[in-house]
Parts: sequence; structure tokens; C-alpha cells
Amino acid sequence: MSAPGSFSPEAIEAAFREHGFVATGQVATTLFLAERLAKPLLLEGPPGVGKTEIGKLWAACHDAELVRLQCYEGLDEAKALYEWSYGKQMLYAQLLREKTAALVADAPDLAAAMRRLRGQADEFFSRDFLLPRPLLAAITATRPVVLLVDEVDRADEEFEAFLLEVLSDSQVSIPELGTIRAARPPRVILTSNDSRELSDALRRRCLYLFVDYPDFDEELRIVESRVPQIERKLREHLVRFTQTLRRSSLRKRPGIAETIDWALALVAIGAEGLSEPALRRTLGALLKNREDLERVLQDLPRLRS
Amino acid sequence: MIAGLERFVVELRRAGLSASPAEWIDAVRAVDEVGVGDRERFRVALRCALAKRVAQQRLFDEAFARFFSTPGRGGVERGRRATAGAGGAPRGPAPVDAPRALPRLDRSGPSDRRPRSEMPRLQPDLQALVARLLDGVPRRVGRLRHIVVEPRHPSSREGRMEHVRAAPGPPGDPRRRDLRGRLASEDEREIAAEVPRLVERIRLRSARRTRRSLRGTLYLRRVFRENVSRGGVPFVLPRRRRRSRRSRVVLLVDVSWSTARAAGLFLLLAHEFLRRARDTRTLFFVDRAVDGTTRMASWLRREAASGSGPARERGDRGPGSGIVRGGVSFSRLIGGLPGLVLDAPSDYGRAFDGLLRSTSRPSGRDTLLLVLGDGRTNRFDPQDWAFEEIASRCGAVLWLVPESIARWGTGDSALGAYLPHADVAVEATDLEGLARGVGELIRRL
Repeated sequence: MSAPGSFSPEAIEAAFREHGFVATGQVATTLFLAERLAKPLLLEGPPGVGKTEIGKLWAACHDAELVRLQCYEGLDEAKALYEWSYGKQMLYAQLLREKTAALVADAPDLAAAMRRLRGQADEFFSRDFLLPRPLLAAITATRPVVLLVDEVDRADEEFEAFLLEVLSDSQVSIPELGTIRAARPPRVILTSNDSRELSDALRRRCLYLFVDYPDFDEELRIVESRVPQIERKLREHLVRFTQTLRRSSLRKRPGIAETIDWALALVAIGAEGLSEPALRRTLGALLKNREDLERVLQDLPRLRS
Repeated sequence: MIAGLERFVVELRRAGLSASPAEWIDAVRAVDEVGVGDRERFRVALRCALAKRVAQQRLFDEAFARFFSTPGRGGVERGRRATAGAGGAPRGPAPVDAPRALPRLDRSGPSDRRPRSEMPRLQPDLQALVARLLDGVPRRVGRLRHIVVEPRHPSSREGRMEHVRAAPGPPGDPRRRDLRGRLASEDEREIAAEVPRLVERIRLRSARRTRRSLRGTLYLRRVFRENVSRGGVPFVLPRRRRRSRRSRVVLLVDVSWSTARAAGLFLLLAHEFLRRARDTRTLFFVDRAVDGTTRMASWLRREAASGSGPARERGDRGPGSGIVRGGVSFSRLIGGLPGLVLDAPSDYGRAFDGLLRSTSRPSGRDTLLLVLGDGRTNRFDPQDWAFEEIASRCGAVLWLVPESIARWGTGDSALGAYLPHADVAVEATDLEGLARGVGELIRRL
């Protein structure tokens, strides 16, 4: 797919289909543009609609390594970019103690000894002692890489600001080493569950795609592709049921992943329809909140009709 | 083609969807990649480069449908059909060098299409107050320091009130639906369904702020004292811990016809966070304040016990009938409060005066008073002195106005008399606005 002649939205759709993912024309076109314009892509949408999966498949389609940075509250540069290997530095300092002593042995005073060591100390802050974290790993990679910055809305705003340099220039600055620029800029995909507003600066640097819950036909195709063993009638019923649940006021609406899990659960127990006993046994695969479960079980007769 | 696209971007900007030059360049490059042969692909290419939010994407789709409608088939509806169809949709957009005129996107409701002379005018004192605060003049007006308004396009913040307009947002987004509009119970239910998500968002933000404040500020004097004594190894940064001080909260909520819906939604949003307060009292009023604390608490407990669902009672159609907890709607809850007459005309002056005279009036430096109401007193005496007296006894006063800022102080609204006695005023015409109000409340707990 990476051959220039064959690279098109249709080719992306087909490649995703091969991996069992039904990509809409909108998803395929946006991915195509992200590749052609060499821009990061921000995928926003409710949880469980396949944003992370798009990132993984994008890496698989390009036969590229997936470097994933899972964001969370309190994530900082040390965990995302690099760390100095303190243990290794200490070990080397111990091993080289005699050599260091020899270096300063004939120094007349402390100042002279310090002058001699000054140049040598930089050796302990070279790339040999650097522990690359996902961002640096993606930037310094020699192979093609897809950098997946997952759930960026969970990270603090400071970290979001820090990402800007990586996104716009594919480079990072390390005080001891200077600026490291990517020889081969990674393909970057950011995902957000919209739990907080991302900054305009971040949005400006990315192409944007809102991934919403699929409509009935689309979800039917997804279930068909992921759970081919399920019967057509049961498939239609379960998708209709899921779509109805998404319109009701649940604490956690079921995503596509939950629909697939539920379809697999129904197949596993050999259900032939959405009977009440089958629903009671399998609904835990679809709903992940006790209150939601209780409410839906109470409303089952209405929902099934 | 570029000239046509340029006109489209300019129209988008005028409509409130601002695209930076970099985004505009991205849009041109994107169109260059996909071409103009396939209308849907052309739309997606422009959209992913120019509209970076869900609400913006909706605005964009409407604008696109109008601007690139097929010649001879203009109009939004026809344009939408042309965009949405898969099989029967035209394959390409109308020639971009000959775009059709794009009507200005109507983000501010039908009233803003009236001539300027017919625009509602604010009372002069409130107009000056709002203009100064919105312009960032660092000066208090009475006690009022800050007005929290809905985010708007920069061009609408020129300090002239005719430019300060409500932005009700795209019609599909329940969080941006105008709470004073005509809404059926189903619509209310849809809006209320968004509450847990917003609560989660507020909790995430407030947790971050709490953690930061718990960490405390740098205690410089101790930095030197502690580090000098041990030669700076290891170097420590002592911080000054904030003393924990929990507030008492008094919610004074107007539940008349025009504000009951916003009141119900606000209480749903806020109750989760009010547990942090030392204690919370909820007073409902139309023309007199009635204590509804116990009723509110049991209403919220019912939710935990039996979940939310449709209201059981038939014929319950007033505002708040779709805000249901445990089978009981908010309108039923307030309708059954003894002493509260929902059909009475709103009378803020009488309610404030009665509250001031009662033994349950809010008072204390650690008391936070939150008023939710539009300040419309039906031309009764506003008795702002009574509110001033109440406010002066409280440590902090917040006022949430479920009405567009352009209407504050117009007609029978007495906000111009009340707001100078509050610390912060929040424009809360929709669920997002109420969430901003909750954010302001949490900050002061």
C-alpha cells in the first residue's frame, strides 16, 4: 500500500477491511490526507468507537512499528520523552574510579582537578546513558514508526503544550544533548475521548476527525465482519438493541467493542435470539455499570419490543 | 479554484468558524490531493483541515451545503441532500470559482436578525458594567469582579453590547441547547443524559486543581533555611500547605417557569461536588424562599436506589418534567414543596426580603451563596438593598444567569441592581454554561 501509485483512500479502505475493520470513506480519506500532508491526525470521539484500533491498523498497513504513548494525569517529560539511566551512570562511575583518580592524580589543587574532570563528565550525559521513552523512541527510530498518543485528553495541559514541538517539527529538545530532529518523521495519531477541551494550538497542528458511534447499517457490517458465525437475524436484533441503548440515558454507553464482545458472548452460549434468559446471561458484556445493568434489566420488555 | 476556496474560508470566518492561515494552507493542500471530482471526498478534505471541533464540523457542514450547492439547487436542505446521499449524490461539488452566496450562519437565534434599533437595550448601568468587565478592565464594579460568558468569536467582544450575543450552538448538540427554548420532556431527558459525562469532566479538572493546591506554594524562606543547613544535598523545595477550609453552601434557586429547567439540571450537575462542602442548604423560590434541602437529598438518594427512568406520573409536562431521578421528575419535586407556589409571578424583592427577615438567612464568612435566576421581577420592587444585606453577610456570592448576556437587565430584569453585590456572574444558557457555573462553585469550596 505504501507504493505511491496504489496509495489512495480506496486502498486504505481495502487494507483496513483485510484486517477486519470497516473504515468509512471519511476515515479513509482523512488518513490518506494525513499521510500525504505529513500531518498528525487527531481522532476524537466517545470511548469504544475504534480510535485506538485505527492507530494500530495504520501501523499494520504500513508495516511500521507502533509506538504507543498512553496518556494519564501526571504524565510528564521524564515518562514520555527520556530519562537518564541513573543506575548505569553510577555503575560506570564506580568502574571508572581508578581511571578518574589517575586523571586528577597530579593536579596541584581542587580547581585544577575540577578543570580536568569537566570535559570528562559530559561522557556521563551522552546517548549511552539515555533511556528513550516513547516520544524519543519514535523520533530516533530508523524504521517507519506510527506514534500513537492515546487519550491525550487525560494528560495535563502542560504536557499538551510540550507535545506541540514534537507535532509541528518532529523534534525534541534535551538540554544536555541539544535538539534531536527526526530523520524520518513518524506518522502521528492522537486520540481523545473529549473528557476535556484540548487547546487550539494542538488542534491547529493536526488534521481532525470525529469518530462517532456507527449507524445501524455500518454497525451491522462491523459485526458481520468481526463475528461472521452469528446468524443474520440475531445480528440485526443485537445491533438494533445496542443502537436503542445508545439513545437512552446510560452512564456508560456501549461502544463497538462492547457490541462485538456481546455478539461473541451470544454465539458462545448458543443463543438463537434475544430471549430474556440469554440477555440476562450476556448483558454484562455490553454494559459495564451496575446501575445501567439494573435499569436495562428492568426495562427489558420495552427494549425487546 | 483557490479564489473560490478563499471566499469560502472568509465566509466561514465571518460565520464564526475561524481558520488560521496555516489551516487554510492545509485545506488547499488537502483539496489538491483529493481533487474536486468527488463531492464527499472534497468535503471531508476541507473539513478535516478547517473544522477542529464537533460543533465546528456541524457549522462547517451547513456552510458547505450552502456554499457548494449545485447551481440551480440552492438552499440548505437541498444542499444537505446532495452532501449526504451515497448512491444518488452528485459526484462533484459546484464549481468552486462560482460559489453561491453564503448566508451568514445564524448562531444567535432569530432575534438577532432584527434591525439594530430594535435590539433589546440594556439598562445603562449594567451595560457599562458588562462592557468594562468583558473588556478586561481590571476594576471592580461594586463587588462584582468577574463575568464568565460563553466563548464567542473574537469579533463579538468589542465592548459594544449589540455585539454581545448568545451563541446557542448547533441544533444537534444537547449540551449546547438553549434551556429557555421550547423543549419537550424527551429533549430534557436527552440533555439530562449528558450530565454524567459533564460531571466526569468537571471532576477531572477539579481533581487536577485540588492536587495543585494541595501541593501548595513554594515557601522561599524555608528553601534557604533548610538547604543551607545541609549544604544543599539533597536540595529540597518546601512548600507552604494550604489550610483546608470547608465552606457552607446556600443555593438560592429560582424555580419559576422560565428557569426551572436550568435549576434542575444545575442541581444534578452540582450535587456530586457539594459533598465537599461542610453543609449545603437548597432554597427554592418564586416569590418566597422555601427550604427544599431534605426533599432534594431524598430525590438524589432515590436515583442511587432505583436509577433514572421516565416519570411515572402522567400529565407532568412543565419545565423539568424530563429531568427524572428514580421515577420522580424535578417538576414534581418542586411542585410538591409546601409553601412554594409555582404559578405565582416571580418576585425577587419579596423573596430576598423574606429571607433576610427569616432566621435561616445565610450568614458567615465561610458561607458561599449561589443564586440561580434571571432576575426578572415582573416590575415588582427589586429590593436590592435586601440582597445587598444578605450578600454582605456571606463570604462569597455567585450568580448564575440562565439567560443570554445580551438580555441581562432588559425589560423587567433587575440584574443591574443585583449583580454589583455578587462576586461573580456566570452566563449559563445551556448545559455547558451550567457546568462553567459548577466550576466556579467548586473553585470556592
